Formats: sequence, structure tokens, C-alpha cells
Amino acid sequence: MELLDQIRASIGDKYVVTRQDAQAWTRDWTDVYHWQPLAVTRPANTEEVQAIARACFAQNIAMVPVGGNTGLTGATKAQDAIMISLDRMNAIREIKPNAQVAIVESGAVLDSIHQAVDDHDLVFPLIFGARGSAMIGGNLSTNAGGSNVLRYGNTRDLCLGLEVVLADGQVMNLMSELRKDNTGLNLKHMFIGAEGTLGIITAAVLRLYRKPLAYVTAMVGLRQLEDALPLLNRLQNETGGGVEAFEFMPRRYIERHIEIISGADEPFEGAHEVNILVEVASTRASDLQPDESGTPKLQAILETALMDMISNDKAQDAVIAQNEAQRRSMWARREAAAEITVGFPGAVDTDVAVPLEAVPSFLKQMTARVQKIDPEGYEFYLSHLGDGNLHYTFYPSDRSGRFKEPITEAIEDVVLELQGSFSAEHGIGLSKRNSMARRKDPVALEMMRAIKTALDPKNLMNPGKVYPEPEAR
Amino acid sequence: MKVLVPVKRVIDYNVKVRVKADGSGVDLANVKMSMNPFDEIAVEQAIRLKEAGQADEVVAVSIGVKQNQETLRTALAMGADRAILVVATEDVHADIEPLAVAKILKAVIDEEQPGIVLAGKQAIDNDMNATGQMLAALTGWSQATFVSELDIQGDSALVTREVDGGLQTIKVSMPTIVTVDLRLNEPRYASLPNIMKAKKKPMDEKTPADLGVDIAPRLTIVSTGEPEARAAGIKVGSVDELVEKLKEVGAV
Repeated sequence: MELLDQIRASIGDKYVVTRQDAQAWTRDWTDVYHWQPLAVTRPANTEEVQAIARACFAQNIAMVPVGGNTGLTGATKAQDAIMISLDRMNAIREIKPNAQVAIVESGAVLDSIHQAVDDHDLVFPLIFGARGSAMIGGNLSTNAGGSNVLRYGNTRDLCLGLEVVLADGQVMNLMSELRKDNTGLNLKHMFIGAEGTLGIITAAVLRLYRKPLAYVTAMVGLRQLEDALPLLNRLQNETGGGVEAFEFMPRRYIERHIEIISGADEPFEGAHEVNILVEVASTRASDLQPDESGTPKLQAILETALMDMISNDKAQDAVIAQNEAQRRSMWARREAAAEITVGFPGAVDTDVAVPLEAVPSFLKQMTARVQKIDPEGYEFYLSHLGDGNLHYTFYPSDRSGRFKEPITEAIEDVVLELQGSFSAEHGIGLSKRNSMARRKDPVALEMMRAIKTALDPKNLMNPGKVYPEPEAR
Repeated sequence: MKVLVPVKRVIDYNVKVRVKADGSGVDLANVKMSMNPFDEIAVEQAIRLKEAGQADEVVAVSIGVKQNQETLRTALAMGADRAILVVATEDVHADIEPLAVAKILKAVIDEEQPGIVLAGKQAIDNDMNATGQMLAALTGWSQATFVSELDIQGDSALVTREVDGGLQTIKVSMPTIVTVDLRLNEPRYASLPNIMKAKKKPMDEKTPADLGVDIAPRLTIVSTGEPEARAAGIKVGSVDELVEKLKEVGAV
């Protein structure tokens, strides 16, 4: 085919992958969507991305950028499209330790960025389970969240600049390292979270933070979810805003984790309905200094606060990691979430956000509603409680799919009532497009479509994703 | 029976080790320190002996800097009854050599009269794997090293040792020095109430001089260096090319 030959001439034969060799790119991690791309192209640099875009633009062929392919919404489905894999553009071009920025190409795997900045005692605080495969371009395109949003914000907050190739092959250079730059509209924010529908992110300037010297990680057992926010606020107050993560796992999660993951164990002697993984961190050397009993200061602060809450019946029990291995095993429990929730056909999987105080109310209302729809069904959830993000999954009593719509609608109803969001950190892709049509403010949708049309008039960039068809409304 | 468990404070095994610029050792300033993982297994085993009614007191002992208190508190939080801290240096970078440690432990044994010593098989910082053996020589007790199973039967103990190529079961007479290996058990988490109780458990502080031991170093560290960086790999384009390259280096 003429297009492929043209691309081969630009980027080299072996980097245009088709048929059998493209197998890995015919499905994503969730295995919900399957497709056959025209070809997978693997450019080595921005110029090659431009060449691919120009060729596709001239022949009106759709383009789907792809990174680690770990998304959860089907946003990389690329039927009869040219996939543009950024995997070869994985250079970490520069780390500026004093300015605390990193300049990276969009195919850099998140974990490789973590390792590279660690050498400078810095962190790039975007942390989630798929970090060993997910690439920064995809993280930016979905505005990924994760476990440290509470302290450092989501990917949008960690990005200072971008380089983007537009549908027609033009490069937009927004590679600013500036903290202040009020020169008109801040266009980079349009591409962050656009899921590849406006252009292809090829490079980024990332914001880094000083690596904490001391971490204290604990699991806390609570009787009820209403006790969680007072716990978070108390720990924030006593550590000067040092809480890095505040994750909620209900009893059911603990049980299922033990059932599925070999070697997993109970976190506490007794069982607790509400299990919180909390991590506090500090960059101050003085927080490492031992008190008279030999306990480092930061840990002593946490111990005292937690013990006081236990004594006053505001918490039930707590365990504190005594070393890095125990800390990692506490995190492994939380990060196994994806492995222990996927793989149930017909399950309704959601990623919602509600105001912090509304989480208990959301769960109570959901339980009441799903009981009316499918009393034999099974609720399963966990939450980045510190930022109000819940992953609520419903496993219906049968696999017919007949409960999918009513359950989804019920979730959306409750979310809307509580002024929440039906997609907190995973994005829209294909799987949330109906929700967009039903629930997003119509004027906002119209403006989004106007922006899409302005940047991608031929609708070639990841078409069919994010924006619902106008007639679907 | 009393159990004595020596515990060492070492650089946390998940921390990336950095060599000091002058090559004189590993940089330990502001680095996460934890109980030597093998010692943690020894503490766990001691507590299990107590829980099983085979021991009535677990005494943890640590030799090093004042900050070793933290390591001992961890042992106490796990369930040890009391602790002995032997402050042998003020410098976190000073490593007390195995013979000096063994002599200090010998003096502690003379005072405490334990029925068994449970120690880690080695410390992960200098990997000496010597203290337990030296202690057995100094006390004249039996020794069982690299232990993955322990069964105390009155005045003797049946132990399984992890040796090259398999497992070896031996019977040793009590009292004995046991150095434990990785597979003996899975140490428990320290619960907060136990951590708080541990702060109130007794901790005796001594010096090597109190115990009549000279800890002057006998070894000289000539240099400390980073491991050689691994050579970069290459990417091959096809299976044929892979086979060809493997043949080139004589791997197939």
C-alpha cells in the first residue's frame, strides 16, 4: 500500500510493523477491545512523527498514538488506523537537578523516569501500578492520577511544557520550563487529557520534587469510613501537610487480595471494615533524628497521633512498616488492585470522584440502589480516599449484560447528585463515551467539539474517542 | 529457657547503596537504616519459641552506635522482652569487627546465661558470615549455621541447614549457637500498640569496656568501590540475528 511505502521510506522498513508482528498492538491491557491496525509505526524522533502525520493527513488516514497501552478505557483502539507507537522515543534528554525539571521524550517509561531522577535525589511523584509499562506520553494524554495526587497533584500539575505534533504534521513547541508564563492561552493544557485526539505528544518538561529522606508507612484499621477524614486531617496537621498517600481498602478487598495473591497475609491481627494505607514523608533531615526512645521524629509523630486515636476509639488498630521491605509489601497490596479486579465479563468498572466528605454517602446510596437492580450482584471498591477518587466495580449476578446499563446509570445518577465526576483519572476513551453524552454539560461538550474541529478539521486524530457523536445526545 | 538474639543495624536492603566519594566506605548519612533482615528472622523465631512455650524470655542485644536503640525497639515491638545496647562507637560509619562482636556477645552470655543464641547468618552490609561461628568457638557451644528449620527437643535440637545442593539435618546439643537463613520464617509486622509498649520495655546500656572487651580493629579496609556497571546490551531485529549473535559470543 502506497501510504505504508511512503512511511517506510521516512522511518525505515523495520519500524513499520504489520500483521503478525503487530499482534501486541491489537488489544489493550483490559482485553475488552480488539482491533486490526493498518500498521504500527515506530518513529525514532519528532521529525519522523511529523513525516507519518503528513502522510496520513494527505491520504485522510486515521492516526492513533500509543504508549505503554495500559489505559483502561479503550482509548488506543485503532481499527484500520495507523498506530504511532512512541516506544522508541524514550530518551530522558536532560535532568536539571537545581531547577528540578526533567526533559523527556514521550515514550519514556514512567518507571525509567523514576529511576533516572532518583540518581539526583529527586522524585517525579506520579505513582501508580502500571508504572513499569506506562509511558509518560500516555500519562499526559490521560492526565493520569494515582496514589500521590493528594500531595503533588495529577500529571497536569507535574507538567511544565510539551512538544506536540498536530494532525497535519506541524510541530507545536510548548517546551517551556517556566513557572510563570502568561502569554495568552496555555495551550499545553488542551493536550493533557485529550487522549491523543488533538495531536501527538512527543516530548515534555516535567516538574520534579526533592526526594523525601524519611517515609513512614502504616496501615490503619477503622470501624467506619466516617472516621477516615478526621484521621487524614489530623495527620496532615501534625506533619505539616506531609501525607503523600491515603488509600482506602474495605474488608472485602483485603479478603479478595489474600484469596488471589499467593503469600498475601492479613494486615492486622483482627479484621477491620475500613483499612487505610497512609504514607507520610519529609525532606527534613531533622525528621530522621531519633527521640529519647530511639524513634525517628517523623515516625514518633505518627505513632503518637495514631495511638491517641486508638485510645479514643477513633481508630481500631495500626501497623507501621519497620523497614523498606514492609513498606513495599504494604504498597503491593494496594497496587494489586488492577490484577484482582479485572477479568470479570459483564462487570461494571468505574472511576468516579466525589467531594471528599461525600465518599461514605456515595457508597451507602450505591448499595441501596444496586440492591434494587440486582440484589444478587456483588460490590467491590477501593479508593484514593485522600482525593475523593473511588474505583467502584459491580459484578452482576449473571453475565448476560442486562444489568450493565441500569447499574452504570445508577452510578452516574449518584455521582451527579453529589456533584462528582464519572471519570476521575482514567479518562473517557471509548468506554465512557456514553456517559459523556448523557452527563457532561452540553455547552462544555459543544466547546470541546469546537476545539477538536479547530485542531483536527479532518477528524484523523484518534477518531471516535472522548467526544460523543452529536446525534447521540 | 532464655533466648539471646543479637541484632545489627544496617543500611536498609532496599536502599540504593552509594560509595563515599573518597572510597573509604558506604555513605550512611541520612540513609534509611533497618534491622539486618536475617536478624529479623532470628527475632521472629525467638518470639515463636516463646509463644510455643519453649522459651520464657527473649533478650535482644545490639552493638554499635546509640541509634541502634531504634533497631532494638523494633525487636521489642515484635515481642522481645528486654534489650541490651552496647554502645561501641559514635560514628555510624565505624563497623565493629566480627571477633570484637563475638567477644562482646560472649561477655553478655556469661552474664545472661541463655539456653540458645539465635542470630542472623550474616549481616547484609559487610557479608562477613563469621560472628556466629566465632561465638561458638569462644563459648565452646555447638553451632548450627544457615538454619531453615529448628526443632528444640530438650537438651538437643534438630536443625535443618541450607547447604550447597540441598538440605542437611543435624542434631546439636544445647546450649547452642544458631545462625538463621532466609526461609526459616516470615517476620511479623509490628503493631502500633506493641510499638508503644516496646518504648516502656527495659533497655540496658553498656560499653565494651564494661564487658572488658577491646574492640580495636584488626582489619584494614583498603578500598570500597561501586560494582562495575553492566555493559550496554544490543537490540536485535530478528530471531536469525539473535542466533547469529549468540553464536558469535559462543553462547549456543
